[in-house]
Amino acid sequence: MQFLLFNFLNPAFGMLLQAGGNGRFAIAWEKAQHPDLSKFLIIGALLFIIGVAGVLTRRNIIVIFMSIELILNAANLNFIAMSRYLQDTGNVNAVAGQIFAVFVIVVAAAEAAIGLGIVIALYRNKETIWVDEIDILKW
Amino acid sequence: MHRYIWLVPLLPLAGAAINGLLGRKLRFSEKLIGGIAVGSIAVAFLITVAAVYSYAFSSNAMWPQTYVTSQDGAFNFTWIPGGAVRLTQGSQEPLALKLREEAAAKRAARSQEQRQQPIPGGSEETRGSVLDVEWSYQLDALSSIFMLIVTGVGLCIFVFATGYMRGDAGFYRFFAYMGLFMFSMLVLVMGSNFLMMFVGWEGVGLCSYLLIGYYFDRQEAANASRKAFITNRVGDFGFALAIFGVVATFGTTQYTDVFGQAATFQLEPLGHWGLLSWMALGLFIGACGKSAQLPLHVWLPDAMAGPTPVSALIHAATMVTAGLYMVTRTNVIFQHSQTMMMVVALVGAATALFAATIGITQNDIKKVLAYSTVSQLGFMFMACGVGAFVIGIFHVMTHAFFKALMFLGAGSVIHGMHHEQDMRRMGNLRKYMPYTYLTFLAGWLAICGIIPFSGFWSKDEILWNAASTRYIPVGWIVWIVGTIAATCTAFYMTRLVAMTFWGKEKFLNGHDHTVEHEVHNHDHETPEHHTHIPHESPPSMWVPLAVLAVLATVGGFVGISTAFTGGKHIGGRMNIVNFMDPIIWNPTTRHFGHEEILDSAGRPVEGTREARAEVVTAETEATEVASPYGEEGFNLAHVAESKLHSETATEWLFILISLLVAGIGIGLGFFFYVKDTRLPDIWAARLRPLYQASYNKYWVDEFFGWAVTRRVMDAARGVFAFDSKVIDGGVNGSAWLTRLSSRITGGIDQYFVDGVVNAIAAFIVRLMSPLFRAAQTGFAQNYALVMVLGLVAAVALFFGADIARAVKSVFAFGL
Amino acid sequence: MILSGWESVFFWIFSIAAIFAALLTVMARNTIHSALFLISSLVSVAALFILLRAEFIAGVQILVYVGGVMVLFLFVIMLVNVGSEERGSEEIFNRSRQVTTSVIFCALLVGGLLYAINVGYEGLQKRDEAAVSAAAEQRTAADQNLPQAATGSSRITKETERVGAGLYRYGSLPFEIASVLLLVAIIGSVMLARTLKQEAAVDDTAPEILQREAQHDPEIAKLQSTIAQ
Repeated sequence: MQFLLFNFLNPAFGMLLQAGGNGRFAIAWEKAQHPDLSKFLIIGALLFIIGVAGVLTRRNIIVIFMSIELILNAANLNFIAMSRYLQDTGNVNAVAGQIFAVFVIVVAAAEAAIGLGIVIALYRNKETIWVDEIDILKW
Repeated sequence: MHRYIWLVPLLPLAGAAINGLLGRKLRFSEKLIGGIAVGSIAVAFLITVAAVYSYAFSSNAMWPQTYVTSQDGAFNFTWIPGGAVRLTQGSQEPLALKLREEAAAKRAARSQEQRQQPIPGGSEETRGSVLDVEWSYQLDALSSIFMLIVTGVGLCIFVFATGYMRGDAGFYRFFAYMGLFMFSMLVLVMGSNFLMMFVGWEGVGLCSYLLIGYYFDRQEAANASRKAFITNRVGDFGFALAIFGVVATFGTTQYTDVFGQAATFQLEPLGHWGLLSWMALGLFIGACGKSAQLPLHVWLPDAMAGPTPVSALIHAATMVTAGLYMVTRTNVIFQHSQTMMMVVALVGAATALFAATIGITQNDIKKVLAYSTVSQLGFMFMACGVGAFVIGIFHVMTHAFFKALMFLGAGSVIHGMHHEQDMRRMGNLRKYMPYTYLTFLAGWLAICGIIPFSGFWSKDEILWNAASTRYIPVGWIVWIVGTIAATCTAFYMTRLVAMTFWGKEKFLNGHDHTVEHEVHNHDHETPEHHTHIPHESPPSMWVPLAVLAVLATVGGFVGISTAFTGGKHIGGRMNIVNFMDPIIWNPTTRHFGHEEILDSAGRPVEGTREARAEVVTAETEATEVASPYGEEGFNLAHVAESKLHSETATEWLFILISLLVAGIGIGLGFFFYVKDTRLPDIWAARLRPLYQASYNKYWVDEFFGWAVTRRVMDAARGVFAFDSKVIDGGVNGSAWLTRLSSRITGGIDQYFVDGVVNAIAAFIVRLMSPLFRAAQTGFAQNYALVMVLGLVAAVALFFGADIARAVKSVFAFGL
Repeated sequence: MILSGWESVFFWIFSIAAIFAALLTVMARNTIHSALFLISSLVSVAALFILLRAEFIAGVQILVYVGGVMVLFLFVIMLVNVGSEERGSEEIFNRSRQVTTSVIFCALLVGGLLYAINVGYEGLQKRDEAAVSAAAEQRTAADQNLPQAATGSSRITKETERVGAGLYRYGSLPFEIASVLLLVAIIGSVMLARTLKQEAAVDDTAPEILQREAQHDPEIAKLQSTIAQ
């Protein structure tokens, strides 16, 4: 399988790529084959944005919380990717990123616990999980 | 000993202070209070006697030089310092003149423009013209006589008062005021400058007020004391103006300096009214107020509302003579102005006659004596006006003796009659009060002018000098008026003695209470509505009477007339004319003192100034000596002399005339009040208008009330109306305006300003509030969206430019 | 840290999976589905962590995040979300205004982020070229010294050791604070999630609320009477 992939498909694909777009595609394919830090950061950014969109758009309070978890996770990914990159560059403080990620997880856990406690208390009082029904603090 | 005269005013003051401040607080007994008061006066009197002896009669006597205690440092206090260096007085009296010349020379030497600028305060002037007032005492002939009178007669009166005022609740207050009075009077007569005299002047006025109003719970006494003070004040105004004139003219207030400078001024005869005449006018107005001359005499009769010792001391012997003292002290100034001399003489004469005619009809024993005092004061001023200052002072002395005697006698009578003052209720008191009667007789004979009592000498000399004066042209008018007044005096004094001591008792029936009584706290039973038998006064009261009676009898020999002594004043310094000589200024010779003074052995005394030959032998030579003022009017004495060809004979003529008129007065008095007691009423009915005028005191008080008091009250009402309507109206009007403007402003503020503010604010709020409200959705995701917005903005801030460029480049290149 | 070979393949698989799962989390109708999709996203990210040689963090993520937090989520969903299936087609997204605005801004944000990352990475590359190459040799040398794994195909790395050392040496205080934070969270959540009955039983309610609820609820009224004594 590997043999097939690396010796046959790859060169074919590569030639295809080379032919199109003055080699831009080739460059892109080459780049994609070797993901580096920037790809990780892009993934993290995308996850972040999805989380933000979830927070802003969903009506269900639990889903909003889960989107927040997504955001925190994206941040974690950023931390770990940068930590790895710093390791590669020889920085002695590279491990700080992973340590920070640990704390982020701890905080996320605490926040989830409290937040869900609030959700339960809120549900007991208002019998609803739809956020747009909880708008007392207004004019 | 004369160095210690500063103790003389201090002792009565100390006594007064102790009595006044501690008398009630420590509850002194009457004996103690009286002892302190009498003791202080007695010691003062002794010191005075010793000082006068040391000054005038001892072996190293200073007389006729003036002694001022600042001369040798016995007592000097810089009261009002005016300059850096003090001027010494006394012997350096011409120094002031010299310094004045120096100052004038300096002023001339200064440049033109400097001279044109007036220098304020005179600081650049030399020392002599800087006003420097000190507190020091002067001892000379005039002040020594007054000191002796004040302390001596005062001592007698104090002793009398300890008996008279017994039982009174304000005993301590009485003696405190009396002591204060003695202090003021002594400052007045002992002061070495005009300001000290003024201090004493005001002080005696104050004490007169306090003592007249001693019975402060009686309306009559309160009114009388106020009247006395205010009338005095009118006189003080003139006196103050005169002092200002003195300061302005002479630059100093010390007597020695002032009189030394004044002596160099020009005479101002009749018709010329100059600076010194103005000064003399002011001084005389002061004298009128203090010595109760016309028209300021109105306070003296009313002042009888005070206790009798007060009347005796203040209104007979001392305070009222302060005017005399002042006129004699400033005789230099008076003698410069012939007009003022005439004014003084005429006013004195008018007062003498005026008061004498009133005294004829009064029924209150004290009022008669009061008018008698006014009349006698008129005599004294007459004497001064005609140039016989010494005789005026002599009459002061004898008057002090016999008037104080008579007042105290009246006090004794009143005391014995249980405060009955109306003579119509008395009679035949010689049976009940022999000592009082005998002593009173001495006073009666003295005042009537019967030889050899003291009053004769002085009164006769006054009339002789009035007739023979060279100073004023109307001496004969003065003589005639004085003679008539003397007749009246003799008449009413005889009337008084007859109604009081002779005749039949009129008090044996019950008396009603329409007659005024002198209210007096008595330790006898209160006066009841049945007869009292009068009793003789205790020794504390009749012993002073006896002393004064002796003085009234023999006191006149110090001024024995030259008619009796062969034309010369014998006795050296003991003769009052010689003694007072250095005080009096002679306008003809322009020297102080005009006689070569002979001692009792006939030898000339050393140190007296020699006068020009024609004046020294004036008595023996022809009488045609020119008046110092130039013209001379009708001179009665000269007329008589031309007929008799001898001065001495002329004098004897006038003596006989005055004795005759005194006798006529006494005779008429006898006739009316002893022989035929219906006569007074018959003649009163016949001369009804005159009687009414005299009885009502010529309605002077009513006139003053209408002319002065009511007009002043009208003015006060007018001023009050002005104040309340115009000024208060203005103030209230401005307040009204303020309120109006505040209302307007408030309205503007409330409706306009607040309206605008409210409108704007409301408008803005109405505008913005929906917007702000819209932002508060309560919807958490909206808030999260805003956060994301912020995040986008942050990113745009950092990378916006680059992103835009990259986007553009992508699009530019195409894909 | 350029990945290559199979690592890059797995990278792409797991990253696509993570993004896809995240999208579905946000867009799923059923909340349980959302939770499960989130779990898969988290697991994919854990795999990415392993690719980044942060094995410890990957383990912690799976154990704590997925095993603890997501389970908690599921419990709460069960508690509060029961009725949504019965209700059927309840609108899951907000009003269009909110959604539109958020999508626009998110799009802008992602554009900006991507650009920033690209540009930043270029700069970063330029800056750290030398350091990277220098460190690479060191690392390969160090890697050779690592002990072999049991399977023999790779080495036992010292990553976890380093994390532990760093955590306990430099981050010990934050560590303790984090534990206090967790304690506070425990207490807080217990307190927050109490029922009225539980609160009344420990006398932790305002009287007027108790009064008001007692009218509806007889049990609370019973409690009220017991409290009143």
